[in-house]
Amino acid sequence: MPVKRFEEEDFSSSFNGRTISRILSQLRPYWKLVIVFVTAIAVIAFLDSYFTYLGKRMIDEGIIPKNVNLMFSIAKTYALLMLVQALFVFIMIIVTGYLGQRIHYNLRKEMFSNVQRQSLSYFDRTPVGWIMSRFTSDAEKIADLVTWGLLDISWAIMNISVAIYFMLRINWRLALIVLSLVPILVFVAARFKKKILSEYREVRKINSRITGAYNENITGIRVVKAFRREEINLKAFGDLTGEMYRASYRAAWLSALFLPVVQILSAAALGSIIWIGGYEVNLGQLTIGGIQAFFSYVTFMLWPIQDLARVYARMQQSIASAERVFSLIDAQPEIKDKTGATSPDTIRGRIIFDHIDFYYDKDKPVLSDFNLTVEEGETVALVGPTGGGKTTIVNLLCRFYEPKGGKILINGIEYRDMSLQSIHSKLGIVLQTPHLFRGSIRENIRYGKPDSTDREVEEAARLSGAHAFIVKLEKGYDTDVGEGGNLLSVGQKQLISLARAILVRPEIFIMDEATSSVDTISESLIQRGIEKLMKSTTSFVIAHRLSTIKLADRILYIENGRIAEEGNHAELIARKGKYYNLYTSQFAEEMQKSLNREG
Amino acid sequence: MKEHVETFPFNPKETLTSNGLEGLWKLLKGYRLLYLAAAVSLFIAMSSKTATYLLLRFFIDNILKKHAPVYWYPIIGSGFLGLALIQGSFTFLSGKLSAKTSESITMRLRNYLFNHIQSLSFSYHDRMDTGELIQRTTGDVETIRRFYSEQAISLGRVLLLFCINFVAILMIDMKLAILSIAIIPIIVVVSLFFFKKISYQYNRFQDQEARLSTALQESLTGIRVVKAFARQDFEEKKFERENYRKFIEGRKLIALHGAFWPITDVLCGTQLLAGYVVGGLFTIEGIISIGSYLAYSGLLIWIIFPIRMLGRLIVETSKARVSYGRIFEIVKQQPEDLSSGKNPDPSKIEGKISFDSVSFRYADNSPVLDDVSFSVEAGEIVALLGPTGSGKTTLVNLLPRFYEYSGGSLKLDGIELREYSKEYLRKIIGFVEQEPFLFSQTIWENIAYGAGRKVTRSEIEEAAKSAHIHDSIVEFPKGYETIVGEKGVTLSGGQKQRIAIARAILKDPRILILDDSTSSVDSETEQKIWSALVKLMEGRTTFIIAHRIESLMKADKVCVLDKGRIIQMGSHHELIGEEGMYRKIYNLQSSLQSGGYLAS
Repeated sequence: MPVKRFEEEDFSSSFNGRTISRILSQLRPYWKLVIVFVTAIAVIAFLDSYFTYLGKRMIDEGIIPKNVNLMFSIAKTYALLMLVQALFVFIMIIVTGYLGQRIHYNLRKEMFSNVQRQSLSYFDRTPVGWIMSRFTSDAEKIADLVTWGLLDISWAIMNISVAIYFMLRINWRLALIVLSLVPILVFVAARFKKKILSEYREVRKINSRITGAYNENITGIRVVKAFRREEINLKAFGDLTGEMYRASYRAAWLSALFLPVVQILSAAALGSIIWIGGYEVNLGQLTIGGIQAFFSYVTFMLWPIQDLARVYARMQQSIASAERVFSLIDAQPEIKDKTGATSPDTIRGRIIFDHIDFYYDKDKPVLSDFNLTVEEGETVALVGPTGGGKTTIVNLLCRFYEPKGGKILINGIEYRDMSLQSIHSKLGIVLQTPHLFRGSIRENIRYGKPDSTDREVEEAARLSGAHAFIVKLEKGYDTDVGEGGNLLSVGQKQLISLARAILVRPEIFIMDEATSSVDTISESLIQRGIEKLMKSTTSFVIAHRLSTIKLADRILYIENGRIAEEGNHAELIARKGKYYNLYTSQFAEEMQKSLNREG
Repeated sequence: MKEHVETFPFNPKETLTSNGLEGLWKLLKGYRLLYLAAAVSLFIAMSSKTATYLLLRFFIDNILKKHAPVYWYPIIGSGFLGLALIQGSFTFLSGKLSAKTSESITMRLRNYLFNHIQSLSFSYHDRMDTGELIQRTTGDVETIRRFYSEQAISLGRVLLLFCINFVAILMIDMKLAILSIAIIPIIVVVSLFFFKKISYQYNRFQDQEARLSTALQESLTGIRVVKAFARQDFEEKKFERENYRKFIEGRKLIALHGAFWPITDVLCGTQLLAGYVVGGLFTIEGIISIGSYLAYSGLLIWIIFPIRMLGRLIVETSKARVSYGRIFEIVKQQPEDLSSGKNPDPSKIEGKISFDSVSFRYADNSPVLDDVSFSVEAGEIVALLGPTGSGKTTLVNLLPRFYEYSGGSLKLDGIELREYSKEYLRKIIGFVEQEPFLFSQTIWENIAYGAGRKVTRSEIEEAAKSAHIHDSIVEFPKGYETIVGEKGVTLSGGQKQRIAIARAILKDPRILILDDSTSSVDSETEQKIWSALVKLMEGRTTFIIAHRIESLMKADKVCVLDKGRIIQMGSHHELIGEEGMYRKIYNLQSSLQSGGYLAS
């Protein structure tokens, strides 16, 4: 199982060496750039410390001995190096930024192409939101770690090392005092940052509960008002914001404590430098410029230490992110082509469900020993209660799922021996909830057959009954359907998805009929379109409308994964069994509605 | 854990102003002193930092140079530590106080918005998109919180650093001080210029990110279609396009940063170096002491480098102003008045209702109900029949005054409906919706939801039994403690409806409104729901939006609506006797039931 839990785990249980090396391997194709950016950082870090050293020389060799010329010449070097540093800062930002964007881009690309290959079962058990956050925050955390994180670490380490090198040159005894403080500072800072991060995680959790509370109260506003729950709900919400207040206040003051603690620790170092430095100056071991230099080095050492602490604290989070991203990239699709799978030109012919067993959940079999033979060109209507297995039968036929036992033969060939592409490209499917993609109506109809001409598109639309409403729209076939087709009514979306299926000239037609979203006139139009299509294909319809059912050659009443009743409409009505019972009540409503519409 | 946190009582409505900055100031009401204390702490902290450099000057000039006794060294050393302690404590205090301020204000704002939104009328909620409202109550509130907790404080820090250190340099030498800020205006302008651009590019980057997410979401939710048509390659290309665009936008953003930082590095560096050199000359000339020079060169850094953050801070402040405006568009709305009006004893309500030429129009003036007149005796059942959009739902929504009728007269027990308080009407009217909304709480909380009083466990079970849902509930592993919705058990339409019926039974309303559709329910469940409803209707004036024949036959009166008007009215028997829509529907349904139609 590639994905099991959907609760976010922010922290990886341990530092996993393999994950870390895999994170770093993202950089491998860009190793030249990595060298450039590490070099740039080295130059910048060196110059940062060198500037302080130049300041010291300016004091000791220029200002105190009153040597104006030397002072100017040092200043000139300073100015020149400043330009050099600016150049390297530029290089560093551009290269690091590029790498960060590039790696994020690569990860997204890799994830997308693998997610696409997954079987439907994967999507049934994995929420879309879960996959989405792998693409955004998790992938970004990895990209950040290998770029800005790496940059921060390298800069911090080089900066501290170079500073210590110069301090050692100026006065080794004082330098040792500072050196002994560095590990303590890094340790304290890192512990602190981790604590703060975990406090903020708590804040985020409460925050999502607050969003949830807003959402529920706004979407359920009718009930809230009808039951006068305003006061009680406000009180419950007040408790929640109170919790939020405490958690975020705590997190905020903890982070406010961080800098002062580190500062006070380093001030201890400053104090001892003055104390001991005084003696050293008296002994001639240290110049006034040297004191100044130590002062600066210690003051500005705070930043690299903070950076180190931050990267360290975030590291575990990033590793946890990386594990999730890699699990997505590594997920194996459950259904894929066998080696040596054939691609027959046609899948016309008899379809046989041969002793099929199937379950989604081992304890709850959906189909057991299910048998069905459908002749070429036959139209089969599947009816029956929800959860009876109608959709499963269709899903198996489409090979969205594969049987757990038994086999499905199409035209005499076990369908697992064929390639997925060869099956899918010859199916025409209309789903109950029609999904359209952003773009024009034309693009949507053309979806299954991108090389079709505008005439073919229109032809399909006519057949599906969509043409009439499309031409009434201001922009006709070029009308934008909006996100998920939201700018159209459900009925219109259904007509378009029918046209989409008609256009591919399917050899097997599958329709999961929606109950009641199409008006009476469109319904009769669709009727004619479907009728034509059904004559030329083998068709499976999960049917709700009487008019559709009447078109079927055979009606199967599916209940508890078995065919409970079978026959044509007249036969089943005459039997006065389950089919008869289920549909008397349902048609009553349907007919009333259509009458209402006419009235 | 759950005790209430008190905030300064205050109605954010009073801050309403068109000027965002002024509004942000007004929002501080009740916490201004606290916030001021945070600023003062910040001032003390920054000052002691500056004092460190002045102490350094004293140490060099008066101790080292004058060869003062060595016992001074540890004293000065502890002085540094002492100043650091002051600086640290006050930095912390300032952080703590500003956190308290911003969190309190945010909590107050959140609570206010929650309450305000739930007291706005239906017509407002019909107009507003849920996502938009949530974005404002969460995203925009967060922006405002960050303004108080981060941006305003950072802005204060940059300005204080500049002022305090500038004063300290002035104390050392005035000419030097003026020279030290010569390039600063340029730095400010450059930084503002860049951050406007960066902010613009950042928005573009974010927009592209949003487009990428949409594309991703679309492919994922439509995965069945993608697979059904074998279009994975196409989807990959589509995603690739958006993905690559984001990469490009990201690079542009990087390029701006790549230009901004080195340019300001050079500008700041030039200012710094100029200070060093001129300061050096002053020292050589003997205008300032060597100790002063040391202090000066340390202080200089703190007035130059923070300044380049000004651009970013100012740009971010404008975001807070925009968020303020967006939130206060909600605050501006008038809430419903729930309490004013009559509140007679509910037990004395008989439930006689009369419509007299009632009409209702939407805000855009299109009529929904037009000249509707009929009356209902206490305890009667009225069935409403009519096509979608005929006005049935609007009609029943007028009763609890979810919408206010715009013409005619509507009376309950002879008193105009407008004279009752809304709160009262909603107390005596019960609803069972077609697709009931349940909250993601336990089942028993959902049933107890509307009782408006403490109810015992046995009362809830009693109601559940009457609604024929008890047996299904106890079959769940957690029984009545089962949580409903996304995080818990998904209930079927029929189960939800029966829980809603139990909820209504417990509420014990005087007037009942039912939407009795049974689509998506099998016939056995339908029977159960029906017998639950019969129990519920006993002795109450009931309005049924009817879909099935039992309701029509049971009703004392049937109103057939079309396009906002009543086209037929009477008892079932009367209406069968007339030519018209009712008879057509009735005949059809009864023939369906006998099976005659299907066989044909």
